[in-house]
Amino acid sequence: MVAQARNWQEHRTSNWGVFFIPFLAPALAFMIAAFLTPLLFVAYTSVVGDQGPSLAYFGEILTRPLYRRVAENSLEISVMATACTLLVAYPIAYHLARRTPRQRALLVILVLLPFWTSILVKSFAFTVLLGHAGIVNHVIEAIGLPALPLLFNRTGVMIGLTHFLVPFMVFAILPSLLSQPPELRRAAELMGAGSIRIFWSVTLPLSLPGVAAGAMICFILALGTFVTPALLGGRSDLMIANLIDFHIHETLNWSLGSALAIMLALITAICTLVISRIRGGNLFGTG
Amino acid sequence: MEERRHRTLPSFLASIAAWLAYAFLVLPSLIVVPMSFGDKDEFQFPPQSLSLYLYKRYFFESTWMQVTLQSLLVGFCTMVAALILGVGAAYGLDRYEFRGKRAITLFLLSPIFVPAIVIALGLYLYLSRFHLVGTTPGLIISHTIITVPFVLISASAGLRHIDRDLETAAMVMGAGRLLILRKVTLPLLRPALVAGGLFAFLISFDEVVIAYFIANVETETLPVKMYSSIHWEISPVLAAVSTLMTLLSLGVCLAVAFLQRSEQR
Repeated sequence: MVAQARNWQEHRTSNWGVFFIPFLAPALAFMIAAFLTPLLFVAYTSVVGDQGPSLAYFGEILTRPLYRRVAENSLEISVMATACTLLVAYPIAYHLARRTPRQRALLVILVLLPFWTSILVKSFAFTVLLGHAGIVNHVIEAIGLPALPLLFNRTGVMIGLTHFLVPFMVFAILPSLLSQPPELRRAAELMGAGSIRIFWSVTLPLSLPGVAAGAMICFILALGTFVTPALLGGRSDLMIANLIDFHIHETLNWSLGSALAIMLALITAICTLVISRIRGGNLFGTG
Repeated sequence: MEERRHRTLPSFLASIAAWLAYAFLVLPSLIVVPMSFGDKDEFQFPPQSLSLYLYKRYFFESTWMQVTLQSLLVGFCTMVAALILGVGAAYGLDRYEFRGKRAITLFLLSPIFVPAIVIALGLYLYLSRFHLVGTTPGLIISHTIITVPFVLISASAGLRHIDRDLETAAMVMGAGRLLILRKVTLPLLRPALVAGGLFAFLISFDEVVIAYFIANVETETLPVKMYSSIHWEISPVLAAVSTLMTLLSLGVCLAVAFLQRSEQR
């Protein structure tokens, strides 16, 4: 009986592995057939067009001014949205980190709720809030100031994207704040540092790995956004995803759309690798 | 005393910044709630009189109901498929060491890291070969891909929490592996399975980019209909739909928080 029990303990390294194949195989087969193959299809379509295999589509993207502009737009929007997100998310993470676990469990719901709210509910809310006759402009005009253009332009995209990204940033920064031992603060206090000094020379530097990972995650997510620029942006705020959509649904230039998708996927993959480096090979930062 | 004030003013300012940020996160989705009780086909804030007019329109206009039922159907089937595939994979990965395990785990999780638009385009090109574009099975397959990673994460965390001695005890008492899985492991995993299932359902129910590429007029889901409605006309019914969807998110969010807490105990 003991031998049997030991056998159970050792099954992880023994031939019992055969028993686990039927559990793993369906998911693996499904993902190869329905996820990997379609991605290979995109790669294939991006180099093989009407005139046989060529890199012409990538060349077109890199040289035509329209694509240059959309690429610049996308990078600019993503970087700025990430910066805005950091400004909103850091105070939240810092506030959460300094509560008791009980308070934190309640307050974190304020971050989780927008995280799980549909992007369309948010987009709708922002069109109602930010429009020319929207609630925000109503308030501004009531004070006696002129109405601001907040929707269908860069400002609208920024607000919508930041709102979408904040929870991701909070959840990236929070662990790096919680893992700081409280004695560190105590020590700094005893040595006479004020709370601003403690923040700048202890708390903030120690949380930078979390900030860096969060910024990377937000940048990737922003770069791939489709809904926010389409619904809250103007014509000059088109991003890569909207251009892909345009080529697939309007011009039917599938190869060009695929080449754009491949470039987007490559940038994302590189950033993901950087994140896993920051987190020491652990992508989810949960240990 | 002076030193004390020195210490509290910055932390007071930090608190204000945090509460402004919380307000920015939560207020936009709350603003649609009072609007949803307006009684006219135009936006009013605050509404002049409260009524369920917009809810009536949502529930009795066949177009909105049809897309809601379609989203529920796709969400439910996706949840079942993702649970079967994801929990199986988590069990296989957790209980067996083999070469290439890290690579396989990373591969199964990778749909999280690929932009939705890229997956959408791939599926659009690929599924059209099998005449699955514009069909409900096509939508279910697509949503299963993006939800399996979340079920896998949830189930793996659950499996790590399980007391392995309970399985060993069952083994010693002569139970076969399948019996142990059915009578010991799966019941212990229940909170993780419910959480993973809820995630899968909500992700599918809210997903728009892939559905926008794969669905057609007849198989349109609720988010796709919302997308075109915001894009082209902005119907006031959206306020009622948004309120109901926020309630759904809140329900799932609280349920998962509750499950995770009961699991930690």
